[in-house]
Amino acid sequence: MKTETLSTDPFPADGETNAIRWHRYRERYVDWCTIGFCILGGLLVGITVLAIANIASAELADPAHLIEVAATSEVVHSILLTFGAGASAVLLLILFGTPLAYVLARSRPSRFKGVVESIVDIPLILPHTVAGLLVYLLFMRRGWLGAPLSEIGLAFEDALPGTIVAMLFVASPFYVNSMREGFEKVPVHLENVARTLGAGTFTAFRTVTLPLSLRHMYSGAILAWGRAIGEFAGVIMIAYYPFIISTLIYYSFTTDGIHTSRSIAFTVILVSFGVFYLLRRMTRFMGRYDDRV
Amino acid sequence: MIAFDRVSLSLGSFHLKDVSLKIGKGDYYFIVGPSGAGKTVLLEAIAGLHLPDSGRLLLRGSEITALPPEKRKVALVYQDYSLFPNMRVIENVSYGLRVQGMGKKEAHREVAPLLERFGIAHLADRYPGTLSGGEQQRVALARAVAVKPDVLLLDEPLSALDPVTQEKFIADLKRLHREDGLTIVQVSHSRREAHLLATRVAVIIDGTLVDEGEADVVLNTPRSREVAAFVGIENILDGSVTANEGGLATMDVGGRAVEAVTDAAVGEEVTLCIRADDVVLAVGDGPQSSARNTMAGTVVSIAENGPVAEVRVDAGITLTAVLTRRSVRDLALAPGTAVTLSVKATAVHVIRG
Repeated sequence: MKTETLSTDPFPADGETNAIRWHRYRERYVDWCTIGFCILGGLLVGITVLAIANIASAELADPAHLIEVAATSEVVHSILLTFGAGASAVLLLILFGTPLAYVLARSRPSRFKGVVESIVDIPLILPHTVAGLLVYLLFMRRGWLGAPLSEIGLAFEDALPGTIVAMLFVASPFYVNSMREGFEKVPVHLENVARTLGAGTFTAFRTVTLPLSLRHMYSGAILAWGRAIGEFAGVIMIAYYPFIISTLIYYSFTTDGIHTSRSIAFTVILVSFGVFYLLRRMTRFMGRYDDRV
Repeated sequence: MIAFDRVSLSLGSFHLKDVSLKIGKGDYYFIVGPSGAGKTVLLEAIAGLHLPDSGRLLLRGSEITALPPEKRKVALVYQDYSLFPNMRVIENVSYGLRVQGMGKKEAHREVAPLLERFGIAHLADRYPGTLSGGEQQRVALARAVAVKPDVLLLDEPLSALDPVTQEKFIADLKRLHREDGLTIVQVSHSRREAHLLATRVAVIIDGTLVDEGEADVVLNTPRSREVAAFVGIENILDGSVTANEGGLATMDVGGRAVEAVTDAAVGEEVTLCIRADDVVLAVGDGPQSSARNTMAGTVVSIAENGPVAEVRVDAGITLTAVLTRRSVRDLALAPGTAVTLSVKATAVHVIRG
């Protein structure tokens, strides 16, 4: 017991040896680099926490109003619509973005590949209003794609498909880049072996490459979904209605004022945090084999 | 069985140039060469993973140049084993049968004897990440054999194994070749592996096929100086023919006369190859022998390597001899010891031109 006390107590009370022991303790247990990084990183997290604490303190002071606003059918419907539209955009991304990511991952470096990669990244570098304008011009009733599609009954202006297509546009780089990184991590040798054992290209992809990239698919989908449901400028250009959560908050802010819009925002923060926390927790159980590739 | 007819192939900055070779049914064919020579590309071309820029590939007499890998009936085992990490051992081994349409239960039943044969039955439910290198290698081999390929392609399968596991695996490969009559094509940079396993050998250097033929011939009587260096001939000397009497030529090598059996004409520049195994050492003047080349010299250095030792002797020209460590001890050899070295004229391989 005495030994344990001596070894864990950095400040033993015996004069001169204290300095030596403290020096040893500091060398052994204190990693200043990590502590420095924690402080710098903590400042970043601190800003977010401070912002949330700020809004929370105001909202929790009047819980009755918060519950009243959160329970309105308009807010509930808007949250469900936002999450649903985001999920639809992600499903479309999985359908179209996965093959694109695979081709980019497996093709040799070339000027053409570089151009395609830059095109994929365009939504990342554009101001959101520009992205919204691009989507609007293409999918409006007189747009290159909007016109023929509206003729077969698929309208985008102020309609859910417009919201989805805007979300798809801004979220696509997040999914494609994550998926491409996942495919790149799967050695081509594995596919080669599968092919010589009798698997066609698609079978090798389906049975070997895709299962080994699931974690990247999942995390890319979460990122893309998060980006999609948070979009405002891109969506408002083509589909002010139906209200998704960002457009509803803007509408509420301009018509009802700060009090109501703040309550809606806080409700969204709580719901989003809960959903994303659960989704992130689930990644722990995805693609356990990736590390062994 | 497999024929390359003037095959050329480019992959980025690497070029396989105009390769022609034939691999017969039942051959244990070695493709050897230094790192980056194009051995694996050649192997992958057989598997159909690279399309040649020109030339033809034939399998069983039919052209397969553009035939996809899944239709070639060749199985490939990579140096890194390339087991599917998301599948258990049994699923890895039965993968080929499953993708060819066999049901899960039937495929598992089918591969059960293979698991027994390769001593991996007890690992059936384990994932590759939990296996040792030797176990992974056996699983990879079982997976390749499970699809009953016409040709088994092995890409440096022994390089990542420890010496004990290597010996076991070499025995497995010998058995597989002998008992199953499989045609095996193996890429390697190890002369020892080629000596132990190969029936035929191709030497590829910098994308070019520089020698090809029976294993003993290529390994012991190489066609060029670079092949001789690669296949590990310890003594490579330049000389010129000074006399030739009915095929027994005398050559001047650094001022010493060396005799060898060759048709090289007087005045011709030649390269002499002498295996260190063929150099015999005796202390002092040594006993009389029938060897045509006998030279006095002194030991320069002795490098021990396992049960043998490489002894370098300066006899006007420097030659390396391989002796057992016991011989080194019995002869009390040490740097500076005066010795007589002898080499039979028939043990000197002459490369002309």
